[in-house]
Amino acid sequence: MRTLILAAALAALPFSALADDHGSKAKSWGLKGEEMSRFSAKVVEIKCELTGECADACGAGAYQLGLLTTEGKLIPVNKNGQTSFNGGVDDLLPYCGQTIEVDGLLVGDVAGNDKLDSKLYQVQLIKPEGGEWKKANEHTKAWKKKFPDAGGKGPWFRRDPRVLAQTDANGYMGLGLEEDKKFIKEWYSQ
Amino acid sequence: MRYLKGVVAAAAMLASTLGVNAATEAQRVTVTGEVMDTWCYYSGVMGGQDAVVGTAHYTCAIWCAAGGIPIGVLGDDGQVYLVLEVEGVGTADGQPSILDIQADRITADAMMYERDGFKYIVVNKITSNEGITNLNHTNFGPIPGFAIPKSARGG
Repeated sequence: MRTLILAAALAALPFSALADDHGSKAKSWGLKGEEMSRFSAKVVEIKCELTGECADACGAGAYQLGLLTTEGKLIPVNKNGQTSFNGGVDDLLPYCGQTIEVDGLLVGDVAGNDKLDSKLYQVQLIKPEGGEWKKANEHTKAWKKKFPDAGGKGPWFRRDPRVLAQTDANGYMGLGLEEDKKFIKEWYSQ
Repeated sequence: MRYLKGVVAAAAMLASTLGVNAATEAQRVTVTGEVMDTWCYYSGVMGGQDAVVGTAHYTCAIWCAAGGIPIGVLGDDGQVYLVLEVEGVGTADGQPSILDIQADRITADAMMYERDGFKYIVVNKITSNEGITNLNHTNFGPIPGFAIPKSARGG
């Protein structure tokens, strides 16, 4: 009977409670539903994990990566520790297929939006097996290698040629340059 | 015997909670909704969920998609579908075809995989694209405010 009660009690716990923060040193970002969360997991390419169709080299940076916990839960990694629109693939790709320790935030307004059932993960720190903790901040370094000729000043997203191609053609609202002009004139004259 | 059944049921419930037998069976679906940035929507980092979609958030969605943050489709049913691939193209390295559809209202023929509280889709084909239809910039302005650089504001 005690086994039954224990199993039922465990089953009733949400994942976050099971996971605990395990001594997390993640920094708060003041996000919706944010929970500090440190755990061990295998880095997987999500499409491969779900479909069995696996790209070479875990997608070589083109496919989203996730964390498969020792309990078998798949957690999508949405963001790294940098503050400027950076995903986590460049940080995790070197460890794809390996079990590593991660520290970061589970994020999502699951309490305020009944359509959101689980939280995404922001990875802030990575500890490879037998290695030291390191910051998850590889995106901008990878970007510089990919776009060595991106000129101008400012952060990467102001200079990225792919971004500039979109905003040069479609404006900042996506409606075209004429609509942009009208809106900017109106909005900033208020 | 009744005790044994109880233990088995509890263990199954526990396994389900832990995701041990999480379903990854594919389901062919048609999804209609807006292509969106999942980070800002889930995290609230840029404000409320109504403000981090549409024209208000167009430039930020481009930045996030170029930065490799997973894109989603905010379905007409209110569900967020995490997009792993669109017509053979992965969504993690900011390919032009992925940036081209940000904030667009699309209908997609896709395979869906539900796992641990998320709905993932692999889009076989975008069967229709209505372009940007959510013109919320007139309510919210650009989100974030610096999406339009000072140099473009004419002042």
